[in-house]
Amino acid sequence: MLLRESGRHYGESYSLDGISGDGDGGVPHGRPLLDFAEAVLEGADAAIAPARRALVAAVGEAGFVDAAGVVASFNAVVRIADATGIPVEPFKLAQTVEERAALGIDDWH
Amino acid sequence: MSGEMLSDLAPFAVRADLDEAWRRAWDHLARPGTWWTGAERLAMVAACREAPECALCRQRAAALSPFAVDGTHDSTSTLPDDVVEAIHRIRTDSGRLTEAWLRETVASGLSEPRYVEIVGVVSIATALDTLAKGLGLPRPALARPGAREPARHRPGGAARGPVPGEPSRYRPAGARRGLAWLPILEPEDIADGDPNPYGDKTPDLVANIHRGMSLVPAEVAAFFDLDDAIYLPQFALKDFATEYRAISHAQMELLAARVSMINRCRY
Repeated sequence: MLLRESGRHYGESYSLDGISGDGDGGVPHGRPLLDFAEAVLEGADAAIAPARRALVAAVGEAGFVDAAGVVASFNAVVRIADATGIPVEPFKLAQTVEERAALGIDDWH
Repeated sequence: MSGEMLSDLAPFAVRADLDEAWRRAWDHLARPGTWWTGAERLAMVAACREAPECALCRQRAAALSPFAVDGTHDSTSTLPDDVVEAIHRIRTDSGRLTEAWLRETVASGLSEPRYVEIVGVVSIATALDTLAKGLGLPRPALARPGAREPARHRPGGAARGPVPGEPSRYRPAGARRGLAWLPILEPEDIADGDPNPYGDKTPDLVANIHRGMSLVPAEVAAFFDLDDAIYLPQFALKDFATEYRAISHAQMELLAARVSMINRCRY
């Protein structure tokens, strides 16, 4: 939802292909950002180093540190949501009908 | 002490607020909590670290239903089995937890507030260890219970040991059942003397993700103290006119969405 809102602010239309893992979302340096996130969460240590180097080359060292923070945040915050059974706020559900359908999120449960 | 700060470990610049948040989060994990001692909380961190390599958890992750596979966790923990079970499931397959499982877990003797504190410890430990992994830094070592380890030459710095003391065992009287699987402390129900889980957030900025652990306010406060530094403070989430980090809002949200998707998080 926030990705779409930031796209509106910048006058850009970001796509869902980055979220599903196929593209770059139309976001600047989207591919190295996604490769890094996937390597940290799913890859072996050997896979992380090249993803890290590519990300630093794309967004700089400070950007790399901030990207690592976001990956860490969402790898943790999802566990709070899942383990406590909080519902998605109705306004968020209403604003993300198309995205949830396209990504198949509503089929998970 | 070497290793207490993220900047002690990193061969690159680290924001001062991130550096301080890292230290506070580790201090929080090592201190007596609301329902568990510091030693128990660090034992949870250790169990959390073992979970991704656990064969039972891998079998469950590959199964159509994670509840169809029984067995014993690969664990060196001295924590009770039901605590290890909760930690491993939350760490490795949280997207498929169910309210029925939670009810069974609580009925087995693990009370709701004690469970909530486990969620808090696992979440904070996951954030810290994921950050270290992403940055290519060693995870801070944990002191073995009862062991005297000099540990000055550990790659993650001196081993973290627990702070002695007793948990406060404080349950907010205003917590009510209804919104989630567990009782929630709404902002308007915080009584005088209650620890405020929401800090300086006005009620309109309190989202359900903040409410989730509010039965144990200290865990909400500690998690989001860290989260404000590794992600963004709540007020900055929709302030698209200002970039608070070295990557843009859009770049952060792309990462957030992909990580949530990989974890199959519906929220």
